[in-house]
Amino acid sequence: MLKLDRRSFLATTAGLSFLTVLPRIAFADGHADTLRVAIAGETGDLDLLQNVSTLSSYSAVFDALIHYGPGGALEPGLATAWTIAEDGLSISFDLREGVSFTDGTPFDATAAEWNLKRWMGVADFSWIGIADAFDSIVIDAPNKITVKLKRPVPAALLELIIVRPVRFLSPKAAAGQPIGTGPWIVESYSSTETVLVRNDAYWGDKPAFGRMELKVVPDELARANALRAGELDVIGGDWVAALSPRRAQALAGEGMTIVAEPGTATTILGFSPQSPMMQDKAVRDAIFLGIDRAAVATVLFEGFADPTVDIFPATVPTAGSRTPVPARDVAAAQAALTAGGWAGDAAGWTKDGTALEIAFLVSEESFPGSRRIAEMIQGMLMEVGVKTNIETVDNATMHDRRPKFDYDLTFFGTYGAPYDPHGSLGASFVTASDTGPDGKIYVHPDLDALVATALETGGDAREGAMQAVYDWLRTNTAACPLVVTQRLWAVHPRVAGFTLPATDYDLPFKGITLG
Amino acid sequence: MKNWPWAILAPAFIFVLIGIFSPWLMTHDPAAQDYGALLKGPSWDHWLGTDYLGRDMFSRIIGGARTSLVAMAFVLVAALAIGVVIGSFAGYVGGKTELVLISVIDIALALPSLVIALALMGVFSGENFNWMSDYWKMVVALTLAWWANYARMSRAVVVAELQQPYIEAARVMGASHIWIFTRHILPHVLGLVVVYASADAGALVLAIATLSFLGLGVAPPTPEWGQMLVDGMSYIEENAALVIIPGLALTAVVVSFNLLGEAFALQKVPRAVRGRLLARKKAARAAEEIARQEVEA
Repeated sequence: MLKLDRRSFLATTAGLSFLTVLPRIAFADGHADTLRVAIAGETGDLDLLQNVSTLSSYSAVFDALIHYGPGGALEPGLATAWTIAEDGLSISFDLREGVSFTDGTPFDATAAEWNLKRWMGVADFSWIGIADAFDSIVIDAPNKITVKLKRPVPAALLELIIVRPVRFLSPKAAAGQPIGTGPWIVESYSSTETVLVRNDAYWGDKPAFGRMELKVVPDELARANALRAGELDVIGGDWVAALSPRRAQALAGEGMTIVAEPGTATTILGFSPQSPMMQDKAVRDAIFLGIDRAAVATVLFEGFADPTVDIFPATVPTAGSRTPVPARDVAAAQAALTAGGWAGDAAGWTKDGTALEIAFLVSEESFPGSRRIAEMIQGMLMEVGVKTNIETVDNATMHDRRPKFDYDLTFFGTYGAPYDPHGSLGASFVTASDTGPDGKIYVHPDLDALVATALETGGDAREGAMQAVYDWLRTNTAACPLVVTQRLWAVHPRVAGFTLPATDYDLPFKGITLG
Repeated sequence: MKNWPWAILAPAFIFVLIGIFSPWLMTHDPAAQDYGALLKGPSWDHWLGTDYLGRDMFSRIIGGARTSLVAMAFVLVAALAIGVVIGSFAGYVGGKTELVLISVIDIALALPSLVIALALMGVFSGENFNWMSDYWKMVVALTLAWWANYARMSRAVVVAELQQPYIEAARVMGASHIWIFTRHILPHVLGLVVVYASADAGALVLAIATLSFLGLGVAPPTPEWGQMLVDGMSYIEENAALVIIPGLALTAVVVSFNLLGEAFALQKVPRAVRGRLLARKKAARAAEEIARQEVEA
């Protein structure tokens, strides 16, 4: 039988306490030089040509010719300078000298040509303007290339910033080997974690710490709890591991630093252009006027969102002039319906024997939290007299019905930096574009012509051409922008110098030091 | 042990009462949003507080009981009707028809009912079923997922009863199939299946909540416990009541119905219920006796 006296009890307790603390000490020591970042999904092998890996990790490993700066400014990356010919049919790039891939292969004109020809002129990538207009590549010098185009592509330089496929892979990399010139090297990846180590030969500012662990934590509450427990250092970023405003509020009160900045993507209520009900502009106007955007931003986004009626926020280049956000006006919404030939009141509306009743397609899988926003809008529209039926569907059904415009209302989002405005305009507002399961926000023959002109117009006339698109969308109430969600990150106290990454498709590490 | 059955019946009984009288019990419109009273705690105005859109939690819980009760009643009645008809037909007709039908029943029983319901909800979400509301899609999906048990049970009862001498006697006397089935066999089938169905109610309430939890059931703004649970999850850190209240309501009702079912199975039913059951059984036996005497006469 076990005999327990005071001495042995104290010794056992002390021993157990030490054993409890030991892993913590070891953990802290082992992670002193490591930034631990949550990612929502595994990174995979970061194949630049496949739409498989999550978007957030590419920029850490693979560099681009041009970097995205504040407000969409173009900054030198692997190209130190670039020149666009007057006719817009060729772009010359001076490539950065002395840069090598992490396998030792030099980055030069030959490597650049090999990379660019993997996607330029390839049908699968025709959604990228410069790939679609590609003609040929000329090597002007060991560190200078010229890309020749069949037609001008005003957004070409912005397109060279996007996540994939435009970044540069070592020509000698075997299949499945993510070898770039970026600040980080992939040490290992699995379904639960990707480990990156610093590329000490990186040409730019090197990270202040040597290792980054990207931990796959799909659940948002689990991510927040891991941050609290000190098992993660940073969580957030729409395309990295989204942090909800409510969770951010909770973490702010617990000693975590919350970093928020105006976002670059707009949440939009889309009207189906093929729905007979939504083809009636009076109905669209009533919905547009009947929604309290400020309440949506305050109640559901805790103030971490900015109400808007513009398609793109001012943080995106050539986003157009700003439209003041109108206050919710139920009377004006009802007046719009009356003017449109509808008869009724807050109890309901009819026109030619048809009751005003709309289907609001929502998928929590596609857009977490969307049902709550839909419920809020449903309540607001109910006061106008617009009966709104929320249909909650799974991701597959949403992806099936959205391209067919099989809904009256549904949520859309613009892509955000660095894809906008050309990315969302060229994909979500053009009849002929192939957006696959994502569907389109609105299409119309008149809009097609305006968007085509805007996307083809460069130079000083570009702003005006873009504005014509925005004006058409607003005049015709073709879409109902709601809010621009802010870029939101939560940072553990051991992290200092946190600055938001250039876009929400990038990982944070620049300027960060670890305590 | 003598007293516990009453206690276990209470939540189920209260659930049914609340479901029936909910329009008179709700203190607020369960869909009415009040942005000035978001996530409030219990008060005189809002007995169970408010949710993230300022809606009254008490009224939503009451409304949720009605939603579950009505859906449960529809599904039970429909599944029972389908199950009894198919099972009884299979058992009564026999032969190859029985073989085919029992195979269909076995296939339906091979998969968990909830999995079948989920698959059907996926099918119903296609454009061909846009004419059905989410609520009716859920009711139909659950009905089609739930009938097989009743069918199997009905078939077993019918097969057993057909072996009884009084059925043989009725046949000899020239009684028609419809007469034999409706007057002699159906009461036995219903007696067993209805008792089983009452115990199955808890599982159905849970299934309804599960589908709503997964976003596939009742559409907003209709209050539903599963939906309240999943929506409250985002606020669990700040206002756990949004999850606890519907969770407790759901747990109490499901446990209550499950214990009731267990009690039925063990025949440890409350005296009042047992008395009624016995009376029903006695009446059925008396009817059989009369029928037998008629046959003998």
